[in-house]
Amino acid sequence: MKIQLVRLYDYRDLIVALVFRELKVRYRRSVIGFMWSMLQPLLMMIVLQFVFSTLFTMELRGTGIRSYPVYVLAGILFWNFFSQSILTSMNSLRANANILQKLPVPMAAFPVAAVLSGLVNLLLALIPLVGLLIAQGHPLGYQLFFLPVPILLAAMFTLGAGLLLAPLSIFFTDVVEMVNVCLTLFFYLTPIIYPKTIVSDHPFYWVIRFNPIRSILEIFRDPIHLSKIPPLSHLSVSLAIAVIALGLGAWVFHRASDRIPFYI
Amino acid sequence: MPEPVIQIENMSLCYRLATQKVGSLKEYLIHFLRGSLEYQQLWALKKIDLEVGSGEIVGVVGRNGAGKSTLAKVITGVLQPTEGSCRVRGTISPILELGTGFDYELTGYENIYLNALLLGRQRKEVDERVDEIIEFSGLHEFIHSPVRNYSTGMMARLGFAVATGWVPDVLILDEVLAVGDVRFVSRCHQRLREFRRAGTTIVLVSHSLPEIVKHCSRCLWIDEGLLKADGDPQGILGDYIEDADLPADLAAEELSATQLDAEEPTEVAAVKAE
Repeated sequence: MKIQLVRLYDYRDLIVALVFRELKVRYRRSVIGFMWSMLQPLLMMIVLQFVFSTLFTMELRGTGIRSYPVYVLAGILFWNFFSQSILTSMNSLRANANILQKLPVPMAAFPVAAVLSGLVNLLLALIPLVGLLIAQGHPLGYQLFFLPVPILLAAMFTLGAGLLLAPLSIFFTDVVEMVNVCLTLFFYLTPIIYPKTIVSDHPFYWVIRFNPIRSILEIFRDPIHLSKIPPLSHLSVSLAIAVIALGLGAWVFHRASDRIPFYI
Repeated sequence: MPEPVIQIENMSLCYRLATQKVGSLKEYLIHFLRGSLEYQQLWALKKIDLEVGSGEIVGVVGRNGAGKSTLAKVITGVLQPTEGSCRVRGTISPILELGTGFDYELTGYENIYLNALLLGRQRKEVDERVDEIIEFSGLHEFIHSPVRNYSTGMMARLGFAVATGWVPDVLILDEVLAVGDVRFVSRCHQRLREFRRAGTTIVLVSHSLPEIVKHCSRCLWIDEGLLKADGDPQGILGDYIEDADLPADLAAEELSATQLDAEEPTEVAAVKAE
């Protein structure tokens, strides 16, 4: 494993190039470039705001939500990073099958590059988020400078999941479909578009409570939405989740890597 | 004796092909629980022992499916041996297929970078060599157009130019010298000679027997995964042609192609003249 990490470091310039390629491919074809990727979460926020304020008239008092648009946009940006990075890193080996069969490249370079380009997208998406904070008259506290910590933990967790799923998706094709279904499921099992409190009496609340994605989402959203540095207890749980996920993913990937070229 | 550059010990490689098509997790679990997972084992290489010293030029011949490309992949490090070991000292530059890793949407120039980085180079190294690589490929006018507009020959030229842009310790070529026009092919051969002089170890998988006679000091004959013969090219190629069971006239033709004198003496003379 150590040798593989060293090799990954030797190929750092390649990883950077792969990230740029990913971003270029995503943004080149469209006229207004990365504006499109901003538009999707903003549009979704507007729709959700409309749905919950007029159709279902969700009662926000007592839920701890100060501004629903801010709450939901922060959640969606986080979710987009998580779900898109998982999918691209999971598919990255198959997408580069030809290379893996002909060149001795450290295979982990591809999932790592996928998560890093997702990270760049997330950072770019923080710009309209700050715009929304200003437009909503939401406090712009120093707590925002805490964001690198949750973002780092989210990236570790996502990379772990990507490293775990990438080899599995090669050995078993239906893992791809399964992950798609699970992502949809987890979108609703994570308090992204609804406040956690409205489900806290439900018998299945423990599913949401022990959802690791929720823990990381909350330490990301707290500084933005509540201008609050998350308590140490939440942080340590998230850190543990991120470390375990990354460790597990790296271990599985390492164990599987010799067999991958035989299956793609 | 100096340490070998390529050291392969009792190496076997097995492709496990599932006999039932177990593509889905469900089927896998069912078969796994029943204990009925059956694999057809295909031993592509069997108990290969091989040592290649620094600066040796080794040709590899054998029928289609004999295991030549698998051997090239093991030496490259793409495939890990199922049993035994394969160790290579120094930098490896493999060309197992021309144009591997090209992104068709990127320009030729961008692909030089991408390809060199895939080969393990650093960006700075590419900065220093990029002009030379373009020069060698002869693609000045097209270097800023997307590779999807390139012809096969152009892509081959660019791929070869990048992969041989640096003098590696080990160069592995798998059937890649046949593409490109006459002029480019002769430049490729010229480059191989330069590498030979620089002390690069070269493994040349080829169906072109004259190519092997021309460059190689040693020849391996792989047959059904076994190393059938290892030694002087002329003798082995003779046996190889005989084994192919060609009609007499064709065999004679092939045989005469291998009777070309190896280039070594003239090469030495040329170096002395310089």
